Amino acid sequence: MSSPALEAFLARLYTDAALLAEFLERPQQTAIASNLDAGSVAALLQVDRDALIIAARSFAAKRAAQLPPGAQRRTSWLARWFARNSPAPPG
Amino acid sequence: MALAAVAAAAEAAVAVAAVSIAPPGSMPVDRFGLGWRPELAPGILSHLDQIDALEIIAEDHFEASRTALRSLRRLAAQLPVVWHGVSLGLASMSPVAEARLDRIARLLDATGAEGWSEHLAFVRAGGIEIGHLAAPPRSPESLDGACANLTRARRITGSMPQVENIATLIEPPASPLGEPEWVSGIVEGVGAAPLLLDLHNLYANAVNAGIEPFAFLRRFPLNRVRSVHLAGGRWIHGPNGTARLLDDHLHAVPPIVFALLTELGRLAPQPLTVIVERDGAYPPIAALLAELATARRALAAGRRLAATAAQAAA
Repeated sequence: MSSPALEAFLARLYTDAALLAEFLERPQQTAIASNLDAGSVAALLQVDRDALIIAARSFAAKRAAQLPPGAQRRTSWLARWFARNSPAPPG
Repeated sequence: MALAAVAAAAEAAVAVAAVSIAPPGSMPVDRFGLGWRPELAPGILSHLDQIDALEIIAEDHFEASRTALRSLRRLAAQLPVVWHGVSLGLASMSPVAEARLDRIARLLDATGAEGWSEHLAFVRAGGIEIGHLAAPPRSPESLDGACANLTRARRITGSMPQVENIATLIEPPASPLGEPEWVSGIVEGVGAAPLLLDLHNLYANAVNAGIEPFAFLRRFPLNRVRSVHLAGGRWIHGPNGTARLLDDHLHAVPPIVFALLTELGRLAPQPLTVIVERDGAYPPIAALLAELATARRALAAGRRLAATAAQAAA
């Protein structure tokens, strides 16, 4: 089962560091609180958490690269959050 | 490591194919080109004799002046140009905005480009911009949404885009369909849409999912492929040491991707346009032209294998 609501929830996971942290801590409660249907909640419980973190970090890096230098400084809290909550990739 | 073995076998396959004797005649006319980037423009313009086609990022020119569009029209008169969209979000259950499609239509009209392409991805949802291409759940519902958006895109722009498979670092949840089957469903669901097959995306998704890449390639609708993307990437690691291949367009095309091109050339007899993509860490133009030359050899090797097999079967 997939829906616009699930797409929207994924978009939030990929862009909202606080929501991602909450989801990683309490996946079922976080998904249910976002008014997803039971099928979507069940699917989200099966997600590869490591891959989810890697994907979110990659999206954050892409967004940061698209911003002008000043804007990067203003929004780098997201990059800092990822740096704090997961080790940097080697290389 | 298994991947190293696969890569070695693939390189060996290309080498064997490259030295086989080509039977005369009946080879499709393939084209080889580059993704246009401002940083590469001088090198591209001074080597047009080695470049058959160009692909230009559409979003970079949405606000182009009439003068700029005239320049692009002159460029498109010199060699085939395809506009490449990166932000429409066609593979979504939400309808793509008409204003975005109008901009594509304007570029097509103003420049006389031979067509356009866009990714099978969603890039926004619920009012949130992700900032890059994301894989939607591969479900019948998202397949229907993509078909609806493609039908709408064709109506507004006047042409069906070539649709491109994307790279993803995560298997999207709620995905009962495999990626090749999902892509096939979309391509056939809109009446045989042309496929832009990104071989590095395909390779990355295969290795990230633990799938043998050549078997993965053969599951895609290869008879619908019109164009091919080649690029490079690098390995990144997650908090628990999980490794994923990132398609970053900042590195050279790896040998195994050329080997996949050989296999595609063996299996898909129709003419193909092959584009090498680079989005940063730009090497000298000679290096990119060398990659184009390698791509020519790799695809020709696949063509020869197919011709030899056809002769043997006759």
